[in-house]
Amino acid sequence: MINVLFFGPVVERLGMRDCQIPCVEGMTLQCLHDQLAAIYPHAFEIVCFCAVNGWQVRDLSVELVDGSEVTFMAKFSGG
Amino acid sequence: MKDAVRIQQDDFSQDEEIKALKACSLRMGGIATFVGCARDFSAGRTVSQISFDAYGSMALSEMNQLRLDAIEKYSLLDARIVHRLCTVTAGENIVFIAAGAEHRVAALDACRWMIDELKVRVPIWKKEVTPEGDAWLTSHP
Repeated sequence: MINVLFFGPVVERLGMRDCQIPCVEGMTLQCLHDQLAAIYPHAFEIVCFCAVNGWQVRDLSVELVDGSEVTFMAKFSGG
Repeated sequence: MKDAVRIQQDDFSQDEEIKALKACSLRMGGIATFVGCARDFSAGRTVSQISFDAYGSMALSEMNQLRLDAIEKYSLLDARIVHRLCTVTAGENIVFIAAGAEHRVAALDACRWMIDELKVRVPIWKKEVTPEGDAWLTSHP
């Protein structure tokens, strides 16, 4: 399974902080993004950044493996 | 001594942070600090509280990397970053940043750079509670 985490404004739009998605061989970050964005378009319209296992990832072609922790995040506003 | 980079609920002591910063070197001739605090007014609305959410593990990693980047980029002797995660009211502290260098220019430039970078690199989100309702901020002025 892939553990997907959400925070702040994305949680508010989704109504959940996390979900688990079955890991399919060869699944990329782009695939996962598109799959979730199709189900939750209102939440994903504010997603600007992705992270895999705590590291921000800009190349969405990266392949995910079983147990990956993926985060889709809105623009940051700390400080 | 407390870690140079921390995320915590409680308020911080600027005196303690500066004392810790100065303890790293007697060569330090300039210290610049930035304190971000909660305002009671934002975008035309009265703000009663500000709360936060964060991707804690990544936020702490990014803040640690940000400190190291600043030390390298500006040849600092040391730097400290503390961010609170709790609910704050107007006037309360949110974030503390300090840069210590041999001279003032590097300290001042690094301090400004660190808070600007923190706002775009560290996964923390701020929610303003107002009489008109709550609103997550997704910009970083």
